Parts: sequence; C-alpha cells; structure tokens
Amino acid sequence: MILDAHGHVGTWPDFLIPHPTAEHLVAAMDRIGVTAMGISHLLAVGPDAVRGNELAMEIAGRFPGRFGVWQVYNPHHRTPLVRDGVWGVKLHPDVHQCRLDDPLYEPVWRLGLPVLAHGQTDSPWSDPAQFAAVAARHPHVPLIMGHTGLFAYGFGRAARLVADLPNVYLETCGSKMTGRWIARLAALAGAERVLFGSDACFLDLRTGYGRVALAPLTDTDRALIQGANLARLLGHS
Amino acid sequence: MPKYVIDAHRLIGPVPFDDLPTDPRDEMDRLGIGLACVTHTLSLYSDPKAGNEALLALDNPRLIPVPVVVPGAGEPDGPDEVAAWGVRMIRLCPERHRFDLTGPWTLRWLAEIGLPVAIDLDETSPAQLRHLAEHLPELPLLVLNPGYRRLRALAELMAEAPNVRAEIGTVNTQGGVEWLAARFGAERLVFGTGAPVSDDCGPRFLLDHLDLPEKDIERIAAGTLEALL
Repeated sequence: MILDAHGHVGTWPDFLIPHPTAEHLVAAMDRIGVTAMGISHLLAVGPDAVRGNELAMEIAGRFPGRFGVWQVYNPHHRTPLVRDGVWGVKLHPDVHQCRLDDPLYEPVWRLGLPVLAHGQTDSPWSDPAQFAAVAARHPHVPLIMGHTGLFAYGFGRAARLVADLPNVYLETCGSKMTGRWIARLAALAGAERVLFGSDACFLDLRTGYGRVALAPLTDTDRALIQGANLARLLGHS
Repeated sequence: MPKYVIDAHRLIGPVPFDDLPTDPRDEMDRLGIGLACVTHTLSLYSDPKAGNEALLALDNPRLIPVPVVVPGAGEPDGPDEVAAWGVRMIRLCPERHRFDLTGPWTLRWLAEIGLPVAIDLDETSPAQLRHLAEHLPELPLLVLNPGYRRLRALAELMAEAPNVRAEIGTVNTQGGVEWLAARFGAERLVFGTGAPVSDDCGPRFLLDHLDLPEKDIERIAAGTLEALL
C-alpha cells in the first residue's frame, strides 16, 4: 500500500503547473500504484481557505477512497474546522506569515487531529525548532513536518531536533530531497518516523515517489515509509 | 521502460558541504544507468585545471568526461588545448567562475571549440542563453538543472533557440516533462540528474513512467544525448 501524505490540487501563482487537476493526479496514482493521497487545495493554502477546503472535500467525494483531505487552517481568518471526513489539518506558516508556535493556532492543537505543516529550515515562520516546541507542548497531536526542513543542509538537524518527540513525523517531499537523504533520515530517526509525501501536483508525483521507490532502503523500511506509517497514524490499520 | 539510460549530468569527487558518494558507478549500477557524463567536483569547488586533470585521468568507458572551460584568462590556455583533450562536451560555469557568458572572449572560444556546451541555468539566465544561442546558432547547448519554477521562461528559450536542449532531472512539477515534450519534442529533452548533490532516484523513476510513446522515452533516456555528442 502506498499512501502519499502530502498532496495538492489547484494552481499556484509562482509558476506554471501543467496538470493541476484531480483527474490527472488519479491517472498518475493509478500509473504507479499510489492508493490514496492527502490533499489540500492550493486555493485554501493561498487566499481562501474556506472555499479551497470545500473544493478539496468535493474532490474527495468524487473519488472515493483516493483522496484524504487536509483542511487548511488560516490563522488570520480563523477558518472553521471539522472533525469528521478529513485526515487532519494543514498549516502553512510561511504563506500565512504566522509562526508555527503562534497562539493563533491554538484551535488547531485543541482539535487533536493529525497536523501537516510546511517546515522550512531557517524560516522565521516554520523552522524545525518550532516543530519541536509545539510538539512538546501538544504530545498527543501527531505533527507531520512537511519537507523535513526543505533544504538538504537542514535535514539532519530537523531529525535531531525532534528525535525525542515521537509525535513528530518527517515527511519526504520537496525539490531538494534525495533518495540518499531518505535513507539517511530512516537511519537517523528510525524508519517508523518517516512518511512519504510527494507535494503533487505542485511537484510531480512520480519524481516524489521515485525517491522512496529507488532509495537505498530495506524492503521493510520502504514499506513503512511508503504507507504503513501513515496508515497507522491515521488509524487505518 | 527504456532499454538504455545515459545520465547527462553527474559529478565525481568530493563536495565541501556534504558527505556524498565520490564515485558515481555504484549508484549508476543500482539505478540501471549505463553511462554518465561527469564533471569533477574539483573543477567546481576548487580549481578548474586540477579538476579537469583528475577527470581526464579517469579513463573509464562508462564515464564520459565533461571538463569545465573558463574562457580567456582561465582554463585551459586556449581552444587548441580543448581539442587535444578529445572530449565530446564541455561545461561552462559563468557565475561560479565569474566570466561573461556572452562576452567576446567566450563567444570566440566557443565558436572555435565547436563542441556541445552544458550550462546550469543557475549559472546564467534565459536571456543570456538566448543571446548565446542566437550568436552561435550551430552550437548545441544543453541547459542543466532548469528546475520547475521557470518552465515558461525555459519554453520561451527553447522556442526561440532550436539549438537548446534541456535536462529533465529537475523539471518536476506535475506533468512538466510531458508538457515540454508536447511543445518541443523528445529530441530536445535529455535525461540527467545532477547526482549526487541532486537526486537521481526520483528522475530515474520518472523516466520509467513517462506518459509518452516508447520511442520518445528512448530518446530522452539516451538518444537525444547520443545525437548531441
């Protein structure tokens, strides 16, 4: 089973995404055997979380079992959150310009669902040290560090900062991640703490999954990273 | 799945900022990559001349040497020396080595050398490359590491400069490679990775799963580069 922890649907202003639709993603998932993908709509990550979350729910409804929804919480707009029918909550401290440890996120931690947050080394908004701080404050909230710090020079530090915080998971997507680094993360943090994510359609699903598929990992560790860990986290196993 | 794969962009040697494999051959074996164009890291992170000497001393049939040329007051002494190297492609790093890609020295050297030129897009700009391509329209140019955020600018460059090819390793927004193939053809696209600094696993997997006719995948995997070289 392959579960993609980090996906999107929609367009983004910084650059051209040739295929931003759910239909194209499903075709790509079928092509390489991805069972399901957790998505947030890029409209929700951007200016309109309410409408974007509605669109993500509509997509999940159209493709039963193929998409889980990470409902985006915009701390400035105090986006309404639901408990049922979603995988959890998506935060993007950098786009929303609100630090991950800001009290504005308290409704998210109180909800208690898994949280996927963008994590970027040296960012004032989402440095891995902030993941360690909020994870220690909320040990019962599963917290997924999207991109594991994003930059290669920060991957090892990110793993070390959350080593003693078992509720934090390291997620693999990002243009600077490599198969070699996924194997290193498994060695540093334990394969049970690493989750496959692709960042599709922002990035190409095949490139993201290929890093896990061809990384120098044991079959056991690969199975954990590509799906079993997320299934356990979501209560699907 | 392509029968034969050549990586147009690999490094051999140590890098200063990480502990990465210094010899690409084990990873090439593991990922089913037959040949690779390689540049020595000394040429990028220390001394171009020392790197080229180490590269040219390799003499391994699986590694195609791509030495770095610094035109003018750099390395080598002149275009004749490049001819003596007997290589099939050279690499330019105008940003790293601080020279003008479209300056008179570089244009004269490249015209005289006449070999395909690989350039990382981060080392220049689409405008500079367009100027170079227009000035030397017979000179094959391979743009390394074009990324995914500049797809529109890359497309404009490829539309205006038929002598430009692009490496696909970092073209990784959803369907980006197919988008380029539909506009410019697989004969303008080249498999490459930038490993070990950049990832080779994802691009290698992508190559096996491109939504393109088999003959186009074969071109991207090896054919375009073989024709270029």
